[in-house]
Amino acid sequence: MTPERDERYWEEGLDIPQTPVPSGDPEPWKQTRIVGTLRPRVDAYERVSGTAVYPSDVVLPQMLYGAILRSPHANAVVKGVDASRAQALPGVRAVISAFTPTDRSIRGHETLLREELFVPQCRFEGEVVAAVAADTPYQAADAIRAIAVEYDVLPFLADERRALDSDAPLVHETGNRVSAPGRYSRGDVEGGFAEADVVLEREYRTEAEIHTPMELHGCVARWDGDALTLWESTQGVFSVQAQVASALDMPLSKVRVVGHYMGGGFGSKLQPGKYTLIAALLAKQTARPVKLFLTREETYLAVGNRPPNNMRLKAGVKRDGTLTALDFYATGTGGAYRAGGTGALDWLIRDLYACTNVRIETQDLYINAGPARPFRAPGHPQCAWALEQLLDELSDAIGMDPVELRLKNVPSVSQGRGNAPYTTTGLAACLEEGAKAFGWREARTALLRQPDDAAVRRGVGMAAGLWVAGGGGPPSTAIVKLFADGSVNLNMGASDIGTGTKTVMAMVVAEELGVDPDAIQIEHADTGTTPYATGSGGSKTVPTESPAVRAAALDVKRQVLDIAAEEMEVAADTLTMRDGKVVSTADPTVERPIAELRGLRARGTVTGVGYRGPNPEGKAVNPFAAQFCEVEVNRRTGEVRILRFLGAHDSGRVMNRLTYQNQVFGGITMGIGLAMTEERVLDVDQTGKMVNINWHDYKIPTALDVPAEMTCLPIDRPDDEANTTGAKGIGEPATIPTAPAIANAITHAIGVRVTDTPATPARVAQLLADARKGG
Amino acid sequence: MLPTFAYIRAQSLDDALKHLAAGGARVHAGGTDLIGCLRDHVFHADKVVSLSAIPGLRGMTAGRNGALRIGALTTVAEVARDATVRERYPGLAQAASDVASPQLRHQGTIGGNLCQRPRCWYFRGEFHCLRKGGTTCYALAGENQYHCILGGARCYIVHPSDTAPALLALGAAVEIAGPRGRRTVPLEDFYVLPSTDVERETVLAQGEVVTHVVVPRPGAGVRSSYRKVRARGSWDFALAGVALALRFDADRVVDGRVVLSGAAPVPWRSREAESAIIGSRLESAVCRRAAAAAMANAVPLKRNGYKIPLFTGLIEEELEKLGRA
Repeated sequence: MTPERDERYWEEGLDIPQTPVPSGDPEPWKQTRIVGTLRPRVDAYERVSGTAVYPSDVVLPQMLYGAILRSPHANAVVKGVDASRAQALPGVRAVISAFTPTDRSIRGHETLLREELFVPQCRFEGEVVAAVAADTPYQAADAIRAIAVEYDVLPFLADERRALDSDAPLVHETGNRVSAPGRYSRGDVEGGFAEADVVLEREYRTEAEIHTPMELHGCVARWDGDALTLWESTQGVFSVQAQVASALDMPLSKVRVVGHYMGGGFGSKLQPGKYTLIAALLAKQTARPVKLFLTREETYLAVGNRPPNNMRLKAGVKRDGTLTALDFYATGTGGAYRAGGTGALDWLIRDLYACTNVRIETQDLYINAGPARPFRAPGHPQCAWALEQLLDELSDAIGMDPVELRLKNVPSVSQGRGNAPYTTTGLAACLEEGAKAFGWREARTALLRQPDDAAVRRGVGMAAGLWVAGGGGPPSTAIVKLFADGSVNLNMGASDIGTGTKTVMAMVVAEELGVDPDAIQIEHADTGTTPYATGSGGSKTVPTESPAVRAAALDVKRQVLDIAAEEMEVAADTLTMRDGKVVSTADPTVERPIAELRGLRARGTVTGVGYRGPNPEGKAVNPFAAQFCEVEVNRRTGEVRILRFLGAHDSGRVMNRLTYQNQVFGGITMGIGLAMTEERVLDVDQTGKMVNINWHDYKIPTALDVPAEMTCLPIDRPDDEANTTGAKGIGEPATIPTAPAIANAITHAIGVRVTDTPATPARVAQLLADARKGG
Repeated sequence: MLPTFAYIRAQSLDDALKHLAAGGARVHAGGTDLIGCLRDHVFHADKVVSLSAIPGLRGMTAGRNGALRIGALTTVAEVARDATVRERYPGLAQAASDVASPQLRHQGTIGGNLCQRPRCWYFRGEFHCLRKGGTTCYALAGENQYHCILGGARCYIVHPSDTAPALLALGAAVEIAGPRGRRTVPLEDFYVLPSTDVERETVLAQGEVVTHVVVPRPGAGVRSSYRKVRARGSWDFALAGVALALRFDADRVVDGRVVLSGAAPVPWRSREAESAIIGSRLESAVCRRAAAAAMANAVPLKRNGYKIPLFTGLIEEELEKLGRA
């Protein structure tokens, strides 16, 4: 069973009819000329030079600036909003709140609006109370400060660990449980523990993280009559279109969402926000375009986070390394509304290691805080933090190398999906080849020679992982257009969220049509002009889109070769396209430049359409990973320095070695943030407000926190059964094992286990002091 | 968004002092702290008076008796890379290069670094705290993981500067110009504990400006150092820091100062640690005793108990290191 449908944000394996490729699925590539090479991005110059227009760069004639007033309280009823002073300020064109006459055509939308745009009770700091539009951003900010709100401040709950206490304030009248506990079990857990030689039980906690993408959340909204255009910083233009059209009760055809460039999302931009609707309403009311981008502070509160999780894990193992039972209990919170506080949290327990006897209970809880959103591999890094640390302790307890213990328990089937076989599993290869390239055994042996009393000690650690999605699937449609001069246009709906999607897709087209990837003009992520695509999330963009793009290119190729065959008077199946020419595979001297094909000139363009075919039935498609690192710990001060990192990843075929490596290094860097520096701090005892609400106090890693020595080791094995390009996702798996690999290395260095994130000098110094006292 | 204020680029010190005399006027040197405070509404300014055009406030010159006189507008980066500073005052050079991030060091000034406002997240946030004229110190019962363990009373900030403890250890003084003339104040007397005045961190009165920092010539046998422990490699304040300036006769400490950052509302001189080492060789037992002495009177809050073992380990390590230097 996959995670509950309402906890999922990706769509996979939808059973929808698609037009088949006339000749059936193409054969997998045997040898490639362009795919798999190391290639800078097709839009690198635009991005670096600043000519790329991001939504936050959009400036329209007559445009106004919007701003939002948000509740400063963790829990408060809005008794009244007095906007008279704000309305009288120069340049202020509109003020809207629950207390102003506003367009009532907005409908409740379950995921976007929860209840209403302006709720009577603000259940978290940062909930929307009012909004303004003004001639300049400064006037809009002044207007926000001039609005007087009367609040009835209520008791709040800011720590989910207290949510079930008898005296805990209730976030909703129904109680602080979001729903009944999520339960899963297989086999006989008690029997499994009875069989084990060693049983360990430990508790772990991961702190809430904030996405903090470089580009803020927001959009520009413009009306032309009854049609709305939105330039939104988003991972999926079609999901913004669907949710906005639904909330405004408009036909989809009248809502156009454009999202060409966007400056990062990590899952927090898979859906529009209340800000999107507010921009649309303000634009409608003022009959002017409105630009509304949140402040950095607002993004800390209201547009997503990785939920904090509390995990208790009990595991049994035999001396020979056989895992006999896993018992997992976890809580978490997605804030004041249902937002997946424990979403996908248990997947690694179900699926990563072969284990017959598994029992899981998860409890999602409410607190008065902003909503969780999918955050790069939802649930997985948290669960890995627990599972991979306990595996490490178990290996120690039975005197087996941590890599060996994992190799002993590599499954060939997806146990969490009723033992569906994996199309491919590179878990063992990630472990073995990763350990070899890292010098794992040598490092473990060498470090034994460190003096016990050294003030600074080194350690190595590793962890493994898999990602529940990453195989992609239908629907996706791509259109490739070849012009008479041989130049090519690619049209697709998917967003490039900074991962290099456009570059990879250009490489696929170039592979089939024999053109330069940089010469391909790409039109994408625009609901008005491109075919439907699901949002770019779930590490599924490449495996979803690249087969559709390949099919579209092949459709063009077939048509061009038919034209050429007739003009060259040879059989079409003896021809191919290379370097702007049609070339005979039998006799390379027989060739004709594409630009000289009369039939092509007469038609003007050849258009190919490609669809994403279904995934193999009854199979699981997942990426796998193992990461290794070495750290140095100062036992006096608790300072941890990460010296080197290696990521070994099976994500099927490597499409572009450079963007693949970018994902691995980026994932490791983000994992370092989870392990070492990042933590949302709420003022739990006094106000419930977030106190580290800026980029200094909320610490994302800097260049100095990332080791100089980083290695990306692709386990480059095309997954030909999964789809027609053989690629699986890499974005999310790259961050799953990082944090526990660091924790295991710290323990290897100093013998103390860091069970709670982040492993700051503060925490490690305290743990070392406790250990000295205890010892 | 910045609030509205008048901006004046003073052409002389007298001009600046004239504009700064009125309440609500604020000094603008590098602006790295001022702009953030204004943007976050930490305090208000009617008038911002820039010192950047005033001649003679930037750069380093030789002072009397071999002292080094640093203009207050000298950037932190200039201090960090100056050859004289690196050779004669390695503790100051280290402290300056540990400040913030490269961008901030190139924009921020040494005078500003000494006069910056605290980083307490309640003081910086939407909390009307005691230091901002309110009635409550939120840190006392709140999220006090980064707050003080020494010198707290009513308010529990730590002083954020890295250069201040290094300069204080080296016996530096600041030259101050104001409406009533000029004065020189040893850095040790420059900072104000909350028990004295909860709304100010320094003795500066309205209209007064730090113009120079004077660092005395180090005597023979003086060694100095600064070390900062922080949660992140760059752009971070000290969880714990220690500045040392010790005079050695052969391998015995004869005189000197031990000053802590991240420990107290002011750069905290630990006389307890100093008396534990003066007259002794810095052998490990001595260093251990000195570190314990430095923490003997420390009173942790609910969430910062880690500071005691952290400071203990840090001071011990730094003393041993300087003893071997």
